[in-house]
Amino acid sequence: MAEVAYDSASRIFSGNPPVRAVDQLNLDVADGEFLVLVGPSGSGKSTALRMLAGLEDVDEGAIKIGGKDVTNVPPKGRDIAMVFQSYALYPHMTVADNMGFALKLRGVDKGEIKNKVAEAAKMLDLTKYLDRKPKALSGGQRQRVAMGRAIVREPSVFLMDEPLSNLDAKLRVETRANIAALQQRLGTTTIYVTHDQVEAMTMGHRVAVLKDGLLQQCDTPRNLYDRPANAFVAGFMGSPAMNLKTVPLTSEGAKLDGVVVPLSRAALGGASGESLSEVTFGIRPEALGIVPSSEAGMDMTVELVEELGADALVHGAVRIGDSSERFVVRVDGRTPPTLGQNVKVAVRDTSEIHLFHPETGNRLDG
Amino acid sequence: MRRFLDRHWYAYAMVLPVVVVVAVLVLYPLVQGVYFTFTDVNEATIANPVLDRPATYEFTGLRNYLNVLSGDSSYGAFWSTLVRTLIWTFGCVFFHYTIGLGLALLLNRQVRGRSLYRVALVLPWAVPAFISAFAWKYMFNAQYGIVNQVLRAVGLPDPVWLGQSDWALVAVVVVNVWLGVPFMMVALLGGLQSIPGDLYEAAEVDGATPWQRFRDITLPGLRSVSSTVVLLGVIWTFNMFAIVYLVAGPNPNTRILVTYAFERFFSGASRDYAVASTYGVLILSVLLVFASVYRRALREQGEVW
Repeated sequence: MAEVAYDSASRIFSGNPPVRAVDQLNLDVADGEFLVLVGPSGSGKSTALRMLAGLEDVDEGAIKIGGKDVTNVPPKGRDIAMVFQSYALYPHMTVADNMGFALKLRGVDKGEIKNKVAEAAKMLDLTKYLDRKPKALSGGQRQRVAMGRAIVREPSVFLMDEPLSNLDAKLRVETRANIAALQQRLGTTTIYVTHDQVEAMTMGHRVAVLKDGLLQQCDTPRNLYDRPANAFVAGFMGSPAMNLKTVPLTSEGAKLDGVVVPLSRAALGGASGESLSEVTFGIRPEALGIVPSSEAGMDMTVELVEELGADALVHGAVRIGDSSERFVVRVDGRTPPTLGQNVKVAVRDTSEIHLFHPETGNRLDG
Repeated sequence: MRRFLDRHWYAYAMVLPVVVVVAVLVLYPLVQGVYFTFTDVNEATIANPVLDRPATYEFTGLRNYLNVLSGDSSYGAFWSTLVRTLIWTFGCVFFHYTIGLGLALLLNRQVRGRSLYRVALVLPWAVPAFISAFAWKYMFNAQYGIVNQVLRAVGLPDPVWLGQSDWALVAVVVVNVWLGVPFMMVALLGGLQSIPGDLYEAAEVDGATPWQRFRDITLPGLRSVSSTVVLLGVIWTFNMFAIVYLVAGPNPNTRILVTYAFERFFSGASRDYAVASTYGVLILSVLLVFASVYRRALREQGEVW
């Protein structure tokens, strides 16, 4: 067990111009923490993980595990275990051999390897399959073997590179919970890479959002959701995505289709400090609601209704200035509006409005 | 039966030409060859339509087999020739495989000018075998050959390579290794490229040294390719007539089973077709036994993945 630190670590791929896949990453992960690295593809999240694993060079800065600088230490000497997206199980070895391989290389006594493998297999419900080859296992079982191979090592840090992306949706949800529970039980520092923001929200103690190799924000899932540091994080976290629109700003608030939405003093102050005439206005679908036509609100033409059972997502067009903008509203699943209907949409809770700088994307109320 | 034909006549009609061709080109000569082994057919007794001479050879039962398997030197000293053939075969295949694997490993990494090396290393393949055979023959010439010139220059003994000694066998092995390595290299390079890179990364994280990664990832990953190319290599080398005969000629020190069958068939006073056929059938049997034992041994070691 150990804490992990990225100290202005960069990975630069040669090319013209050189690509900074991971750019000056600073991140401190506490001992026993479950940290999720999330971002769209090409954001550098996997590269960051592979730098920690020692599979990718660190071109600038340093990486520390347990306070020890491991920047130039080969993977072997880092006391880490990694779960790969493809699982990377050794195809010619049985499940038991796969799980015990690292211990065998370390010269651990055979009986002890057997015990440790059996113990991990029991934890992962793999005891029945110990003599099988990976070929004869289902996707979910292979995933568990990959986990088992990491657990048997008893490393100080677990690294997981999208370990659930090859599973079907139901199994993914189930395994997600299992991995989180397992991590809780073992208390091993874990760095987990995913492109799926739901996985990030549900599994991580803290979530680090990356984009183009740059760390956008690293916080608890709650804080990421409630106070995204910039428009990218706001749009990336949460499903469906937050409505993000550029709207004109008046002294009272933001102007949306004739309605002026009052804004918090902090946000207004931030905007006036920069003397902005427009802001990026963000509101989550659940903070919007359909109101009776007598009340004040934006006129929206319903273009699509997605019924999810408990609730429904209403996609529709709202006129802002000269253009028509698409909004998503989360409504009660039992009484959704019909296609083509004109409804009034209002902000239910003004405290759930997020304002961002229209150019830099940074949060305006600090 | 009628209904069966009604339904499937088309399929049978489609495969019929192939069946006929295979029967005429493969099965008929094979059956005839096997039949010859039970007779005393030779140039004097075979039917000769030009001279309008009917066949006069007679059925002799197992006599040819008994003569050959007795190991008598007038029948080609079968057992010692077999031993020489095995030395030749496994010597060649061993060097083919190890050198081919070494080169494939070198070419499987990022090297500058990789495609150039690949072409250069496949070159021996592109040259017609008899040209390379004669080129090597000159290089092995005892007096003027470059091999001996180099050996003399560095003060080593310069044997008469292609004379009546076992050096001749060494020389043909060298030539055949040079010729056979490209095939192994290309096949093994393909095998190496089919091993997923993340297996190496997983092994690296698991703490494997380069040697352990080679032993525990590369070699098992190459198993299916290796088993096939080694089997092919053994069969081809066992029956490699051209190089042995073109480089060393009818030299008893390089005599392997096929070259003796050839000598028996085409040269000598009597052109003994019966004994040559007997050698042919024995070669086929040895290879069949080898192939089945080999496949079984592989299966017992575990499935090829």
